[in-house]
Amino acid sequence: MLADYCNGSMDPRLREELDEHLSRCEPCMAFTKTFRATCEETRKLREAIEYAIPDEVRKRLDLFVRSAALKYPEKVKEYRDQVERDRREKVTDLVGAAAAGQLSSAAALLMESHCAACPECSGYIDAFRNTGTPRGGDPPAGIRSHLIALMQALPPGEEFFLA
Amino acid sequence: MSAERWKDDEALLEDLRKGAPGAVAELFRLYQGKIFNLAMSILKNESDAEEATQDVFMTVIRKVGTFQGNSAFYSWIYRICVNTCLMRLRGKRRSETVSIEEFMPVFTDEGMHASPMDDWSKEVERDALNEELGRMIRKFTEELSEKYRVVFVLSDVEGLSNEETAKVLGLTIPAIKSRLHRARLYLREQLSRYLREGKAE
Repeated sequence: MLADYCNGSMDPRLREELDEHLSRCEPCMAFTKTFRATCEETRKLREAIEYAIPDEVRKRLDLFVRSAALKYPEKVKEYRDQVERDRREKVTDLVGAAAAGQLSSAAALLMESHCAACPECSGYIDAFRNTGTPRGGDPPAGIRSHLIALMQALPPGEEFFLA
Repeated sequence: MSAERWKDDEALLEDLRKGAPGAVAELFRLYQGKIFNLAMSILKNESDAEEATQDVFMTVIRKVGTFQGNSAFYSWIYRICVNTCLMRLRGKRRSETVSIEEFMPVFTDEGMHASPMDDWSKEVERDALNEELGRMIRKFTEELSEKYRVVFVLSDVEGLSNEETAKVLGLTIPAIKSRLHRARLYLREQLSRYLREGKAE
């Protein structure tokens, strides 16, 4: 409440009441003023801050980051390949579980509402369900990106398949 | 956050994702001070903060490919920094912190302030006090327990909004507001005591 009062976002009627009380009550007035001064001093500190790092530390950090930067391109590639592989695997598992009716209730709900709006995905999964095999191997990129988004929409800690 | 900062971050993020030469150096240039200081304010120890800063840069570089863009780039980096530091703290003996309860305002049954209230708001406007007050605020902040300190540093020192701080720490906005308010109350009381003692001397 005090924060609202100090930054001016307080409801005007409440503000009036508080102003009225403050004008009659010296301790409260002193409290409010000093509270506001504290916030202002901190703000000044923030403006003056220059993010100093001791020179020695800066040199060591710089060296460290430089050596990290050299290895950076290969690392990035390695890491992205890994992520891509993981994603493909996950999507394949998801489609498999959907076709076999083994989705968890949260995932099934998401999948149902997505498929209702997306003929591409619903067509793919229906075909999988009817034939028992995925049409043309792994899902195409479009479907894959939809399904990744769908998995990411699951609440954290929730698995998409039934245990 | 200023528009310029935003543009810098966008371009930097793009370069990092492409693996552009110099991107890592630019990331380092823009964030080394902020990250090191944030780490310092949580860990309160230079060599710990240095190691934590290294870890933060490594994590940012490794994971930038998976950054979703759901939040601002800088708040994602802050989050990595806070998590890295808290993980480090967990393995350590807790350092001495003060109990914040001691510094909360006390009211009488009639709803009046129980302790005498000096109004020192005019005094601190004197320039001569500025530097000293800054030092005292830092010192008092360091004595806060990490629960309040991290929120206070992110909001009031780094200037993040309540929403951003909540995202960085994975807390609710009411929780942020309450911790922030208590930290400010604490600081007000500490400054009051400090200025009162100064006068008595």
